[in-house]
Amino acid sequence: MATETHGTVETTGAPEAHGGGGLPQLQFEHWGGQIVWLLLIFAVLYVVLSKGLLPRVSGAIETRGAKIAGDIADARRLKDEAEVQARAAAAEVAEARASAQRTAADAKAKASASAAERQAKEEAVLAEKLAAAEAGIQAARDQAMSHVAAVAQDTASAIVEKLTGKTASAAELKAALA
Amino acid sequence: MADPMHQFQVSKIVELPTVTVFGQAIDLSITNSVAAMMLAATLIIVFYAVASAKQAVVPGRLQTVGEMLYGLVNGLTESIIGHDGKKYLPFVFTLFIFVLFANVQGMFLVFTATSQIAVTLTLGLMVILTVVGVGFAKNGLKFFKLFAPSGVPWPLYFLLVPIEILSFLIRPITLALRLFGNMLGGHVVLKIFAGFVVALGGMGVLGWAGAALALSSVVALTALEFMVAFLQAFVFAVLTCVYLNDVVHLDSH
Repeated sequence: MATETHGTVETTGAPEAHGGGGLPQLQFEHWGGQIVWLLLIFAVLYVVLSKGLLPRVSGAIETRGAKIAGDIADARRLKDEAEVQARAAAAEVAEARASAQRTAADAKAKASASAAERQAKEEAVLAEKLAAAEAGIQAARDQAMSHVAAVAQDTASAIVEKLTGKTASAAELKAALA
Repeated sequence: MADPMHQFQVSKIVELPTVTVFGQAIDLSITNSVAAMMLAATLIIVFYAVASAKQAVVPGRLQTVGEMLYGLVNGLTESIIGHDGKKYLPFVFTLFIFVLFANVQGMFLVFTATSQIAVTLTLGLMVILTVVGVGFAKNGLKFFKLFAPSGVPWPLYFLLVPIEILSFLIRPITLALRLFGNMLGGHVVLKIFAGFVVALGGMGVLGWAGAALALSSVVALTALEFMVAFLQAFVFAVLTCVYLNDVVHLDSH
Protein backbone atom coordinates (compact mmCIF):
# COMPACT_ATOMS: atom_id res chain seq x y z
CA MET A 1 0.00 0.00 0.00
CA ALA A 2 1.21 3.41 -0.92
CA THR A 3 0.21 4.87 2.42
CA GLU A 4 2.68 2.64 4.11
CA THR A 5 5.50 4.58 2.52
CA HIS A 6 4.39 7.47 4.67
CA GLY A 7 4.82 5.37 7.74
CA THR A 8 8.18 6.81 8.56
CA VAL A 9 7.02 10.41 8.18
CA GLU A 10 4.23 9.93 10.67
CA THR A 11 4.01 12.59 13.25
CA THR A 12 5.97 11.99 16.34
CA GLY A 13 3.96 14.56 18.25
CA ALA A 14 1.42 12.06 19.50
CA PRO A 15 2.65 11.01 22.86
CA GLU A 16 -0.85 10.03 23.92
CA ALA A 17 -2.18 6.54 23.56
CA HIS A 18 -3.33 7.14 19.97
CA GLY A 19 -0.44 5.30 18.47
CA GLY A 20 -1.42 1.87 19.62
CA GLY A 21 -4.75 0.80 18.13
CA GLY A 22 -6.55 4.12 18.49
CA LEU A 23 -8.24 5.73 15.53
CA PRO A 24 -5.78 7.76 13.48
CA GLN A 25 -8.70 10.16 13.00
CA LEU A 26 -8.50 11.09 16.66
CA GLN A 27 -4.95 12.41 16.51
CA PHE A 28 -6.02 15.93 17.25
CA GLU A 29 -2.75 17.56 16.20
CA HIS A 30 -3.89 17.04 12.58
CA TRP A 31 -7.31 18.56 13.10
CA GLY A 32 -6.43 22.23 12.93
CA GLY A 33 -4.68 22.03 9.58
CA GLN A 34 -7.42 19.91 8.03
CA ILE A 35 -10.15 22.24 9.27
CA VAL A 36 -8.42 25.42 8.08
CA TRP A 37 -7.56 23.93 4.70
CA LEU A 38 -11.05 22.48 4.29
CA LEU A 39 -12.65 25.86 4.99
CA LEU A 40 -10.30 27.47 2.49
CA ILE A 41 -10.82 24.83 -0.19
CA PHE A 42 -14.56 24.79 0.35
CA ALA A 43 -14.77 28.57 0.10
CA VAL A 44 -12.81 28.60 -3.15
CA LEU A 45 -14.91 25.76 -4.54
CA TYR A 46 -18.12 27.48 -3.49
CA VAL A 47 -17.14 30.76 -5.16
CA VAL A 48 -15.94 29.12 -8.36
CA LEU A 49 -19.04 26.93 -8.64
CA SER A 50 -21.67 29.47 -7.63
CA LYS A 51 -20.21 32.42 -9.57
CA GLY A 52 -18.66 30.70 -12.53
CA LEU A 53 -19.66 27.19 -13.37
CA LEU A 54 -23.17 26.50 -12.05
CA PRO A 55 -24.73 29.47 -13.91
CA ARG A 56 -23.26 28.04 -17.11
CA VAL A 57 -24.74 24.61 -16.37
CA SER A 58 -28.18 25.99 -15.49
CA GLY A 59 -27.92 28.33 -18.48
CA ALA A 60 -27.39 25.39 -20.81
CA ILE A 61 -30.34 23.57 -19.24
CA GLU A 62 -32.58 26.62 -19.55
CA THR A 63 -31.49 27.27 -23.14
CA ARG A 64 -32.36 23.69 -23.98
CA GLY A 65 -35.74 23.96 -22.27
CA ALA A 66 -36.51 27.20 -24.10
CA LYS A 67 -35.42 25.71 -27.41
CA ILE A 68 -37.56 22.61 -26.92
CA ALA A 69 -40.55 24.71 -25.86
CA GLY A 70 -40.04 26.99 -28.87
CA ASP A 71 -39.73 24.08 -31.26
CA ILE A 72 -42.88 22.48 -29.88
CA ALA A 73 -44.75 25.78 -30.21
CA ASP A 74 -43.54 26.09 -33.81
CA ALA A 75 -44.59 22.55 -34.59
CA ARG A 76 -48.00 23.14 -33.02
CA ARG A 77 -48.47 26.34 -35.02
CA LEU A 78 -47.49 24.59 -38.25
CA LYS A 79 -49.86 21.75 -37.45
CA ASP A 80 -52.71 24.20 -36.89
CA GLU A 81 -51.93 25.93 -40.16
CA ALA A 82 -51.85 22.62 -41.98
CA GLU A 83 -55.18 21.70 -40.44
CA VAL A 84 -56.75 24.96 -41.60
CA GLN A 85 -55.41 24.36 -45.09
CA ALA A 86 -56.65 20.79 -45.07
CA ARG A 87 -60.10 21.99 -44.05
CA ALA A 88 -60.09 24.58 -46.85
CA ALA A 89 -59.02 21.97 -49.37
CA ALA A 90 -61.75 19.61 -48.20
CA ALA A 91 -64.34 22.37 -48.54
CA GLU A 92 -63.10 23.12 -52.04
CA VAL A 93 -63.32 19.49 -53.02
CA ALA A 94 -66.85 19.27 -51.65
CA GLU A 95 -67.88 22.39 -53.54
CA ALA A 96 -66.34 21.10 -56.76
CA ARG A 97 -68.12 17.80 -56.31
CA ALA A 98 -71.43 19.55 -55.72
CA SER A 99 -71.03 21.73 -58.79
CA ALA A 100 -70.04 18.73 -60.88
CA GLN A 101 -73.09 16.88 -59.64
CA ARG A 102 -75.25 19.91 -60.47
CA THR A 103 -73.80 20.14 -63.96
CA ALA A 104 -74.31 16.45 -64.51
CA ALA A 105 -77.90 16.66 -63.31
CA ASP A 106 -78.55 19.65 -65.56
CA ALA A 107 -77.11 17.90 -68.58
CA LYS A 108 -79.14 14.81 -67.79
CA ALA A 109 -82.34 16.82 -67.46
CA LYS A 110 -81.63 18.70 -70.69
CA ALA A 111 -80.84 15.49 -72.53
CA SER A 112 -83.94 13.73 -71.27
CA ALA A 113 -86.11 16.76 -72.14
CA SER A 114 -84.84 16.90 -75.71
CA ALA A 115 -85.21 13.14 -76.03
CA ALA A 116 -88.81 13.34 -74.86
CA GLU A 117 -89.50 16.15 -77.28
CA ARG A 118 -87.98 14.20 -80.15
CA GLN A 119 -89.95 11.17 -79.14
CA ALA A 120 -93.20 13.12 -79.04
CA LYS A 121 -92.51 14.54 -82.48
CA GLU A 122 -91.69 11.11 -83.81
CA GLU A 123 -94.82 9.69 -82.23
CA ALA A 124 -96.94 12.44 -83.80
CA VAL A 125 -95.50 11.65 -87.22
CA LEU A 126 -96.12 7.98 -86.67
CA ALA A 127 -99.68 8.59 -85.47
CA GLU A 128 -100.31 10.71 -88.55
CA LYS A 129 -98.96 7.97 -90.81
CA LEU A 130 -101.03 5.41 -88.94
CA ALA A 131 -104.18 7.49 -89.36
CA ALA A 132 -103.47 7.94 -93.07
CA ALA A 133 -102.87 4.25 -93.48
CA GLU A 134 -106.06 3.39 -91.60
CA ALA A 135 -108.01 5.82 -93.77
CA GLY A 136 -106.50 4.16 -96.88
CA ILE A 137 -107.44 0.75 -95.60
CA GLN A 138 -110.98 1.92 -94.81
CA ALA A 139 -111.33 3.36 -98.31
CA ALA A 140 -110.00 0.17 -99.89
CA ARG A 141 -112.36 -1.91 -97.84
CA ASP A 142 -115.37 0.28 -98.74
CA GLN A 143 -114.36 0.08 -102.37
CA ALA A 144 -113.95 -3.67 -102.08
CA MET A 145 -117.35 -3.99 -100.40
CA SER A 146 -118.96 -2.00 -103.19
CA HIS A 147 -117.23 -4.21 -105.71
CA VAL A 148 -118.60 -7.24 -103.88
CA ALA A 149 -122.16 -5.98 -104.58
CA ALA A 150 -121.39 -5.45 -108.25
CA VAL A 151 -119.80 -8.90 -108.47
CA ALA A 152 -122.85 -10.47 -106.78
CA GLN A 153 -125.16 -8.65 -109.22
CA ASP A 154 -123.11 -9.87 -112.17
CA THR A 155 -123.05 -13.36 -110.81
CA ALA A 156 -126.74 -13.32 -110.02
CA SER A 157 -127.55 -11.98 -113.49
CA ALA A 158 -125.34 -14.66 -115.05
CA ILE A 159 -126.92 -17.42 -112.92
CA VAL A 160 -130.41 -16.12 -113.67
CA GLU A 161 -129.63 -15.92 -117.40
CA LYS A 162 -128.25 -19.37 -117.40
CA LEU A 163 -131.10 -20.87 -115.48
CA THR A 164 -134.00 -19.00 -117.01
CA GLY A 165 -132.65 -17.93 -120.27
CA LYS A 166 -133.87 -14.48 -119.66
CA THR A 167 -132.07 -11.50 -118.63
CA ALA A 168 -133.03 -10.09 -115.29
CA SER A 169 -133.31 -6.34 -115.14
CA ALA A 170 -130.94 -4.35 -112.93
CA ALA A 171 -133.70 -3.28 -110.63
CA GLU A 172 -134.86 -6.86 -110.06
CA LEU A 173 -131.35 -7.92 -109.26
CA LYS A 174 -130.84 -5.07 -106.86
CA ALA A 175 -134.02 -5.92 -105.02
CA ALA A 176 -133.14 -9.57 -104.86
CA LEU A 177 -129.73 -8.87 -103.45
CA ALA A 178 -130.73 -6.24 -100.92
CA MET B 1 -1.72 -8.63 7.78
CA ALA B 2 -1.42 -4.92 7.16
CA ASP B 3 -3.05 -2.70 9.76
CA PRO B 4 -6.49 -1.85 8.34
CA MET B 5 -6.44 1.48 10.16
CA HIS B 6 -3.19 2.56 8.59
CA GLN B 7 -4.97 3.94 5.52
CA PHE B 8 -6.50 6.66 7.69
CA GLN B 9 -3.16 7.87 9.02
CA VAL B 10 -2.67 11.57 8.30
CA SER B 11 0.88 12.34 7.27
CA LYS B 12 2.62 15.46 6.08
CA ILE B 13 3.58 15.91 2.47
CA VAL B 14 4.72 19.52 2.46
CA GLU B 15 5.90 21.06 5.73
CA LEU B 16 4.42 24.49 6.40
CA PRO B 17 4.79 26.63 9.51
CA THR B 18 2.55 26.22 12.50
CA VAL B 19 0.48 29.27 13.42
CA THR B 20 -1.01 29.91 16.79
CA VAL B 21 -4.54 31.28 16.90
CA PHE B 22 -6.18 31.96 20.27
CA GLY B 23 -3.55 29.85 21.96
CA GLN B 24 -4.33 27.00 19.59
CA ALA B 25 -1.42 25.71 17.53
CA ILE B 26 -2.50 24.97 13.98
CA ASP B 27 -0.13 23.04 11.77
CA LEU B 28 -0.74 24.36 8.27
CA SER B 29 1.37 21.66 6.63
CA ILE B 30 -0.17 20.07 3.57
CA THR B 31 -1.01 16.56 4.65
CA ASN B 32 -2.32 13.70 2.54
CA SER B 33 -5.79 14.61 3.77
CA VAL B 34 -5.42 18.23 2.62
CA ALA B 35 -3.95 17.05 -0.67
CA ALA B 36 -6.93 14.73 -1.22
CA MET B 37 -9.33 17.62 -0.60
CA MET B 38 -7.37 19.87 -2.95
CA LEU B 39 -7.40 17.19 -5.60
CA ALA B 40 -11.16 16.69 -5.18
CA ALA B 41 -11.81 20.42 -5.52
CA THR B 42 -9.51 20.65 -8.53
CA LEU B 43 -11.20 17.67 -10.21
CA ILE B 44 -14.63 19.18 -9.56
CA ILE B 45 -13.61 22.50 -11.10
CA VAL B 46 -11.93 20.85 -14.09
CA PHE B 47 -14.88 18.51 -14.56
CA TYR B 48 -17.44 21.29 -14.51
CA ALA B 49 -15.27 23.59 -16.62
CA VAL B 50 -15.14 20.91 -19.31
CA ALA B 51 -18.76 19.83 -18.84
CA SER B 52 -20.09 23.36 -19.17
CA ALA B 53 -17.62 24.52 -21.83
CA LYS B 54 -19.83 23.92 -24.85
CA GLN B 55 -23.27 24.54 -23.34
CA ALA B 56 -24.56 22.42 -26.19
CA VAL B 57 -28.27 21.98 -26.74
CA VAL B 58 -27.60 18.31 -27.43
CA PRO B 59 -25.18 17.48 -24.62
CA GLY B 60 -22.18 15.18 -24.84
CA ARG B 61 -21.36 12.58 -22.20
CA LEU B 62 -19.55 14.83 -19.73
CA GLN B 63 -22.14 17.56 -20.05
CA THR B 64 -24.91 15.02 -19.49
CA VAL B 65 -23.29 13.75 -16.29
CA GLY B 66 -22.63 17.28 -15.07
CA GLU B 67 -26.19 18.34 -15.75
CA MET B 68 -27.53 15.16 -14.17
CA LEU B 69 -25.73 15.84 -10.88
CA TYR B 70 -26.81 19.46 -11.00
CA GLY B 71 -30.38 18.41 -11.75
CA LEU B 72 -30.30 15.97 -8.85
CA VAL B 73 -29.41 18.65 -6.31
CA ASN B 74 -31.70 21.15 -8.01
CA GLY B 75 -34.54 18.69 -7.65
CA LEU B 76 -33.68 18.21 -3.97
CA THR B 77 -33.66 21.90 -3.08
CA GLU B 78 -36.82 22.50 -5.05
CA SER B 79 -38.78 19.56 -3.67
CA ILE B 80 -37.64 19.94 -0.06
CA ILE B 81 -37.20 23.69 0.41
CA GLY B 82 -39.60 24.74 -2.31
CA HIS B 83 -39.45 27.85 -4.41
CA ASP B 84 -36.89 29.54 -2.13
CA GLY B 85 -34.62 26.54 -2.58
CA LYS B 86 -32.84 28.05 -5.57
CA LYS B 87 -30.97 30.45 -3.27
CA TYR B 88 -29.40 27.60 -1.32
CA LEU B 89 -28.64 25.48 -4.36
CA PRO B 90 -24.97 26.56 -4.72
CA PHE B 91 -24.23 25.76 -1.08
CA VAL B 92 -26.00 22.40 -1.11
CA PHE B 93 -24.48 21.56 -4.47
CA THR B 94 -20.95 22.43 -3.33
CA LEU B 95 -21.41 20.22 -0.27
CA PHE B 96 -22.83 17.38 -2.34
CA ILE B 97 -20.24 17.44 -5.09
CA PHE B 98 -17.33 17.86 -2.65
CA VAL B 99 -18.46 14.93 -0.51
CA LEU B 100 -19.19 12.87 -3.62
CA PHE B 101 -15.81 13.50 -5.20
CA ALA B 102 -13.96 12.93 -1.92
CA ASN B 103 -15.85 9.64 -1.40
CA VAL B 104 -15.35 8.35 -4.92
CA GLN B 105 -11.75 9.49 -4.95
CA GLY B 106 -11.27 7.29 -1.90
CA MET B 107 -12.36 4.31 -3.99
CA PHE B 108 -9.54 4.92 -6.47
CA LEU B 109 -6.74 6.49 -4.47
CA VAL B 110 -5.20 5.62 -1.14
CA PHE B 111 -6.70 8.34 1.02
CA THR B 112 -10.33 9.22 1.74
CA ALA B 113 -10.70 12.75 3.08
CA THR B 114 -14.28 12.08 4.19
CA SER B 115 -13.10 9.28 6.47
CA GLN B 116 -11.54 11.94 8.70
CA ILE B 117 -13.72 13.12 11.59
CA ALA B 118 -12.04 16.52 11.40
CA VAL B 119 -13.32 16.91 7.85
CA THR B 120 -16.84 15.53 8.30
CA LEU B 121 -17.35 17.41 11.54
CA THR B 122 -16.27 20.65 9.88
CA LEU B 123 -18.74 20.01 7.07
CA GLY B 124 -21.47 19.23 9.60
CA LEU B 125 -20.74 22.39 11.57
CA MET B 126 -20.73 24.40 8.35
CA VAL B 127 -24.21 23.10 7.60
CA ILE B 128 -25.60 23.82 11.02
CA LEU B 129 -24.00 27.27 11.23
CA THR B 130 -25.46 28.08 7.83
CA VAL B 131 -28.84 26.88 9.10
CA VAL B 132 -28.53 29.07 12.20
CA GLY B 133 -27.39 32.04 10.11
CA VAL B 134 -30.22 31.65 7.60
CA GLY B 135 -32.64 31.12 10.48
CA PHE B 136 -31.71 34.36 12.21
CA ALA B 137 -31.50 36.31 8.95
CA LYS B 138 -34.95 35.18 7.84
CA ASN B 139 -36.81 35.09 11.17
CA GLY B 140 -34.85 37.22 13.60
CA LEU B 141 -35.53 36.19 17.17
CA LYS B 142 -38.49 34.12 16.01
CA PHE B 143 -35.80 31.60 15.13
CA PHE B 144 -36.24 30.20 18.62
CA LYS B 145 -39.74 29.09 17.68
CA LEU B 146 -37.90 26.21 16.05
CA PHE B 147 -37.52 24.69 19.51
CA ALA B 148 -41.16 25.24 20.51
CA PRO B 149 -43.44 23.63 17.94
CA SER B 150 -46.94 25.07 17.95
CA GLY B 151 -50.12 23.14 18.62
CA VAL B 152 -48.87 21.50 21.80
CA PRO B 153 -50.41 21.85 25.30
CA TRP B 154 -48.09 24.21 27.20
CA PRO B 155 -47.03 21.82 29.99
CA LEU B 156 -45.46 19.64 27.35
CA TYR B 157 -43.02 22.43 26.50
CA PHE B 158 -41.02 21.58 29.62
CA LEU B 159 -40.30 18.26 28.00
CA LEU B 160 -40.40 19.22 24.35
CA VAL B 161 -38.13 22.27 24.28
CA PRO B 162 -35.08 20.51 25.77
CA ILE B 163 -35.60 17.62 23.39
CA GLU B 164 -35.86 19.94 20.40
CA ILE B 165 -32.74 21.86 21.46
CA LEU B 166 -30.83 18.65 21.96
CA SER B 167 -31.94 17.23 18.63
CA PHE B 168 -30.88 20.44 16.93
CA LEU B 169 -27.48 20.52 18.60
CA ILE B 170 -26.86 16.89 17.77
CA ARG B 171 -27.45 17.41 14.05
CA PRO B 172 -23.87 18.37 13.08
CA ILE B 173 -22.59 15.41 15.06
CA THR B 174 -24.93 12.93 13.38
CA LEU B 175 -24.11 14.44 9.99
CA ALA B 176 -20.41 14.08 10.71
CA LEU B 177 -20.55 10.61 12.25
CA ARG B 178 -22.81 9.15 9.56
CA LEU B 179 -20.46 10.12 6.75
CA PHE B 180 -17.33 9.32 8.75
CA GLY B 181 -18.67 5.96 9.92
CA ASN B 182 -19.75 4.83 6.47
CA MET B 183 -16.43 5.73 4.91
CA LEU B 184 -14.38 4.29 7.75
CA GLY B 185 -16.36 1.06 7.95
CA GLY B 186 -16.40 0.41 4.23
CA HIS B 187 -12.71 0.96 3.77
CA VAL B 188 -11.76 -1.07 6.85
CA VAL B 189 -13.88 -4.02 5.70
CA LEU B 190 -12.41 -3.82 2.21
CA LYS B 191 -8.92 -3.78 3.62
CA ILE B 192 -9.56 -6.69 5.97
CA PHE B 193 -11.09 -8.88 3.28
CA ALA B 194 -8.29 -7.97 0.88
CA GLY B 195 -5.88 -8.98 3.65
CA PHE B 196 -7.64 -12.34 3.93
CA VAL B 197 -6.99 -12.97 0.24
CA VAL B 198 -3.26 -12.63 0.77
CA ALA B 199 -3.16 -14.45 4.11
CA LEU B 200 -5.30 -17.41 2.99
CA GLY B 201 -3.65 -17.56 -0.43
CA GLY B 202 -0.37 -18.46 1.24
CA MET B 203 -1.85 -21.42 3.13
CA GLY B 204 -1.95 -24.02 0.40
CA VAL B 205 -4.82 -25.56 -1.61
CA LEU B 206 -7.40 -25.36 1.17
CA GLY B 207 -6.56 -21.72 1.71
CA TRP B 208 -7.12 -20.93 -1.97
CA ALA B 209 -10.84 -21.67 -1.63
CA GLY B 210 -11.03 -19.24 1.25
CA ALA B 211 -8.96 -16.73 -0.67
CA ALA B 212 -11.31 -17.02 -3.65
CA LEU B 213 -14.27 -16.45 -1.33
CA ALA B 214 -12.60 -13.43 0.22
CA LEU B 215 -11.69 -12.08 -3.20
CA SER B 216 -15.28 -12.35 -4.45
CA SER B 217 -16.38 -10.60 -1.26
CA VAL B 218 -13.94 -7.79 -2.01
CA VAL B 219 -15.35 -7.43 -5.52
CA ALA B 220 -18.92 -7.34 -4.21
CA LEU B 221 -18.01 -4.96 -1.39
CA THR B 222 -16.25 -2.65 -3.84
CA ALA B 223 -19.46 -2.34 -5.82
CA LEU B 224 -21.35 -1.71 -2.59
CA GLU B 225 -18.84 0.94 -1.53
CA PHE B 226 -19.31 2.84 -4.80
CA MET B 227 -23.00 2.94 -4.03
CA VAL B 228 -22.36 4.02 -0.45
CA ALA B 229 -20.00 6.74 -1.69
CA PHE B 230 -22.77 8.21 -3.82
CA LEU B 231 -25.52 7.58 -1.30
CA GLN B 232 -23.74 9.28 1.58
CA ALA B 233 -23.12 12.39 -0.49
CA PHE B 234 -26.80 12.32 -1.44
CA VAL B 235 -27.92 11.85 2.17
CA PHE B 236 -25.69 14.72 3.25
CA ALA B 237 -27.34 16.96 0.66
CA VAL B 238 -30.86 15.78 1.56
CA LEU B 239 -30.36 16.42 5.26
CA THR B 240 -28.85 19.82 4.57
CA CYS B 241 -31.97 20.68 2.58
CA VAL B 242 -34.24 19.37 5.34
CA TYR B 243 -32.46 21.42 8.01
CA LEU B 244 -32.52 24.52 5.82
CA ASN B 245 -36.22 23.98 5.13
CA ASP B 246 -36.91 23.95 8.89
CA VAL B 247 -35.67 27.51 9.26
CA VAL B 248 -36.80 28.85 5.86
CA HIS B 249 -40.39 27.80 6.49
CA LEU B 250 -40.42 28.35 10.24
CA ASP B 251 -44.01 29.63 10.19
CA SER B 252 -45.38 26.31 9.07
CA HIS B 253 -43.21 24.42 11.53
